[in-house]
Amino acid sequence: MKISWPHMGSLEFVMSSVFEELGLDYVLPPPSSQRTLELGTRYGPEFACFPLKTTLGNFIEAIEAGADTLIMVAGKGPCRFGFYAETQRRILEDAGYRFRMVMLEFEPNKLPATIRKLKELKQGRPWRSVAWAIKFALSKAYLIDRLEQQALHQRCLDRERGATTKALERCYRMVWEADSYASLRKVEQEAFGLLQNVPREERETVKVGIVGEFYLVLEPFFNLGVEEQLGNLGAYVERSVYLTDWLRPSGNNPVAGQHDREVEEAARPYLTHFVGGEGLRSVGATVLYHRNGYDGVVHVMPFTCMPETIAKSILPRVSRDLGIPVLSLVIDEMTGKAGVATRLEAFVDLARFRRRARDAGIDYSLQPAF
Amino acid sequence: MRVGIPGGLLYFRYGKLWTSFLQALGAEVVESGETTRSILSSGVSKAENESCLPVKVFYGHVLALRDKVDAIFVPRLVSVKKGTHTCPKMLGLPDLARAAVEDKVPVIAPTINFQEGMWANYRAVYSLGRLFTRDPLRIVRAGLEAWSEHRLYLERLTLGLDHRSALKGETEDLLCEGRELRIGVIGHHYNVYDTFTTMSLLDRLSSMGVDVVTADMVPEELKRRELRRLPKDIYWSYEQEVAGAILACTRYRLVDGIIFMISFPCGPDSIIRVLCEQENRRMGGVPMLSLVIDEHTGEGGFLTRIEAFVDMLRRRKGIASEVREAVAV
Ligand code: SF4
Ligand code: SF4
Repeated sequence: MKISWPHMGSLEFVMSSVFEELGLDYVLPPPSSQRTLELGTRYGPEFACFPLKTTLGNFIEAIEAGADTLIMVAGKGPCRFGFYAETQRRILEDAGYRFRMVMLEFEPNKLPATIRKLKELKQGRPWRSVAWAIKFALSKAYLIDRLEQQALHQRCLDRERGATTKALERCYRMVWEADSYASLRKVEQEAFGLLQNVPREERETVKVGIVGEFYLVLEPFFNLGVEEQLGNLGAYVERSVYLTDWLRPSGNNPVAGQHDREVEEAARPYLTHFVGGEGLRSVGATVLYHRNGYDGVVHVMPFTCMPETIAKSILPRVSRDLGIPVLSLVIDEMTGKAGVATRLEAFVDLARFRRRARDAGIDYSLQPAF
Repeated sequence: MRVGIPGGLLYFRYGKLWTSFLQALGAEVVESGETTRSILSSGVSKAENESCLPVKVFYGHVLALRDKVDAIFVPRLVSVKKGTHTCPKMLGLPDLARAAVEDKVPVIAPTINFQEGMWANYRAVYSLGRLFTRDPLRIVRAGLEAWSEHRLYLERLTLGLDHRSALKGETEDLLCEGRELRIGVIGHHYNVYDTFTTMSLLDRLSSMGVDVVTADMVPEELKRRELRRLPKDIYWSYEQEVAGAILACTRYRLVDGIIFMISFPCGPDSIIRVLCEQENRRMGGVPMLSLVIDEHTGEGGFLTRIEAFVDMLRRRKGIASEVREAVAV
């Protein structure tokens, strides 16, 4: 049994570390590329979500690389994500691929079935070691998230462009190779040290928050490197979602430090109900960023994404009320990197101008969202 | 108090319920009426470009009411059946409406959620009633009255009336009268019954001599049976109806062909479409045309596709179309 799963940010390190730990066979899909996207759009339904297409592309490339068992989580909405696995299974079957799709559902009434599926996947390994491997992998995920956060914060100060990114990649490796809590603790110190030792120079920075749809915020290839681009433009970046929030959905979001309830509270004047996906968080986190003195918010969303479309309809109002510029980037297979780069550049300029005006005590007029 | 009810989206299902409830409570109800070109274009210019067509239309209705009323009524239907949800857009609808009117008019938004049990819903309806009257009995009576009106309306739909005549209470003009060709026109209520955005599809089919079967006319039991066969439950309530109807029509050959009405870019429909098309193919089912409409859909191209589809079905069934006969003579 060769198991595979789609990419999502640093998920590959976490998942593969579980499989390594248990000594199970797995296939990592080739890194997401233009071809992934092309495959996904060719087979994917016309206006399905962008992540559905890209993960479909990952699946196809994984099957080509020899995988025969595909893992995907499923749920019960209200967003489309809960139906990805089922839809992708049908599409891949129609396209003539041979594979097995294991749909993991975690609602109470589906748990017995899920446990049965996990039992098959673990291929005779004892439950105890499975539990340990998962726990250890979650710790790795948490560490990776904090390293990513550190990178987001310091990238704007790089003396040499791309140095932080390169250091971060080494950190990923190091974390992945750790095989016990003792070595993980050592890696933690080394990795933070590595990031902190990236040569810096003093520069004027602006603070920009990223909000948006989970997958797209996490997946640098498909969001066209928004984080890195912003960092290179001299922005101290924070984002509203991290992988840990998804792996351990407890609601207290340890990395970004915004509890779900706090976010809900902040969003209340504008959006009063959960709308699936990250819609509510996008609105709430924007308000929180404003409260914490950020100079701007970048909102990334896939084309046709339902919760984020709601957020996008409401964010201009938030922006007008609070006077924080918000840039909504709608991303699909046609979006070009150059266009995004220009818009980000203009946006960071605007944010910087407003920060200077505010620091100098000039009353700056409210800017409409763009 | 003058309360405006926008005639878009779920108005095409609960309109009767809402108007009779509010009227029975003594509110003056102002409806925005049917979709028109100006409603559509004001909606399109106000709404986000990424929204689906019905939401854009809904914006237009809200804007049309903005200056005429004291409050706009946009209930938030979170779940209308246990274990299911409505579409995320409907969860956020009152907030969208608030953003659309920019707080010039208050939005009345009771939350209906069948996941939470009947008591929560009763409370929501009751506190809605309290906005208009202090008499608890009157609220309960208004509720029961409105509910029975609503049942009657739904029943008329199942009998084969379209939305407009069911609202008015007319009982002539059935969509299905036993003509030779029968086509299932299936989709969300607002995609099938909105005469403006569908370019009077139902009337047109009827004047082509075609019987129409809507999702409401497919027996409930058949839909349920089809849904039970699916490996994974569909968790959107309105999508369940659509998929159930399409699959039932296919399996039991209730129709000669299916037109699946989708508006661009509807999230749930894009997923359900994959499922329906595949199941249809596997069952060796009936021809199916997925019609995607948006605000740019031109009447000419739309008509041509419908006509071609109807002609194809006629040929399959061995009925020569009138045009063909004329040519032969
Ligand atoms: S959040 Fe958006 S992109 Fe993600 S599954 Fe839902 S609709 Fe699709
Ligand atoms: S179900 Fe589709 S058409 Fe209806 S509101 Fe949702 S996205 Fe729009």
